Amino acid sequence: MEEETREYEEKAKKVFSAERKEDIWVLIISAITVILGLTGIITKKTFPSLFF
Amino acid sequence: MSATAQNGFKKYIPGLILCMILGWSALQWDYTMRGWQKDFKECQKILKGNADHNSPLPFDKYKAKHAEKYKEQQLLYNQGTLKKEPKKPHILKQDIYASLIAAGEIPFKFKFGSKMLEFQLTYVAILLLGGMLIRNTIGIPDSFKPGTVLARPIIKPGIVLLGGYYVWSNVLKVGVPALLLVVIFIFGTVVLVSIIGKKLKLDEGLIGVMAAGTGVCGVSAAVAVAPIVKSKPRDFFYAVGTILLFGTLALFTFPYIGKALGMSEPVFGAWVGTSILNTAQLVAAASWYGHDSLLTANIINIVRVGFIPIVVLYCIWFYIVKKAAAEGRSEKMNTWQVIVDKFPLFILGFFVMVTLNEFGVFTKEHQYIFGKQFLKLFFAIGFAGVGLNIAFDDLKKAGGKAFIIGLFAATFKAVLSAIVVILLGTDVFKVK
Repeated sequence: MEEETREYEEKAKKVFSAERKEDIWVLIISAITVILGLTGIITKKTFPSLFF
Repeated sequence: MSATAQNGFKKYIPGLILCMILGWSALQWDYTMRGWQKDFKECQKILKGNADHNSPLPFDKYKAKHAEKYKEQQLLYNQGTLKKEPKKPHILKQDIYASLIAAGEIPFKFKFGSKMLEFQLTYVAILLLGGMLIRNTIGIPDSFKPGTVLARPIIKPGIVLLGGYYVWSNVLKVGVPALLLVVIFIFGTVVLVSIIGKKLKLDEGLIGVMAAGTGVCGVSAAVAVAPIVKSKPRDFFYAVGTILLFGTLALFTFPYIGKALGMSEPVFGAWVGTSILNTAQLVAAASWYGHDSLLTANIINIVRVGFIPIVVLYCIWFYIVKKAAAEGRSEKMNTWQVIVDKFPLFILGFFVMVTLNEFGVFTKEHQYIFGKQFLKLFFAIGFAGVGLNIAFDDLKKAGGKAFIIGLFAATFKAVLSAIVVILLGTDVFKVK
């Protein structure tokens, strides 16, 4: 039982550390999008151009 | 990049591509339906105008009339007489206009588009319902699963980008009542769960996990708190299953309940922000209802997930420090380390966006690109991941005593918060 609990505690810690990494990626992706928008590489016409 | 890292990422590619394809297809559907809905409304106006005047305008005159009206409105807007910036008029294509005048009837596809959006079958519904249907009927191969799981947090860049839509006064206007709601409902739920838990003579660990999970932010809070309260693994998985089950039920029913109760978009946003526990499900339900609803729900969600470190601190104090003191031992709590470890970092991105907008970095076009267009792209991929990960087998894991507590806490919270937000009204929760 103790072994099972310890393994599961480790798993919980891993999940939280994965969430932290995920958040860093979120910030990177958001920053890239903002830079592309501010530099005019993506414009109002970019999104509609993706569809028929 | 090392070979292991490359192989590690490779496993995500099929699922990510699947979510991108599904996301694009749903956006294409949404784009077409919105176009048809606009055409439908314009056709209605033209037919009404013709019925009133009995003489249909030639296409050139119809086009010129719209252009002239738009110019007039722009002039009034520039003079400050008109408060809202006029939208560019939607003008029918020449062939459609001609066939409308000839037939005197609105084409079926325009009626269809309008009906679909009336039933709220937007890209959000298509992705969630479609994803769930695929997962639980034909299923998805195991090789696709890791990528679909990874797709879910792609919603978060959308949440960050939406920050460019607000200035600090907007955030504070909704944030202050949101803070009160969140505090009242967190503590209300925690107290309720503790009372029910003690009456049912449940394990302290299970009570702790369910209190954090149903009170604050679903699975994230349950994961953060579980090791501290030393919940048993089986109880923990019951708790997660229960939280997911209620989130899924709320996601699919709340938009229709909101419509039935006549909730405005900001009120609905406040309701889902307070009562749906999972960020992805909350954002999906709010987007389903409308953009204003999303603007309000987003602020409430940011306030709420910001509470995760506080709940963890409370749990450490309650389950470790206080217990040790009662046993005559001394346990220290590293408050700063807990805050650093458990704080959801993406919130900082949202605050940076609000600040940049406050300083006038973003034009209206930027806001539109980030907060309406690219937000949809990120949300579509994320919602595909959410839909494809709603497995009935996982929801069946909801069980045991966690289910009883979850049933009471989630129902109580949803009903009470609906009453409170309806009483407070639209003005309190309207962002702009």
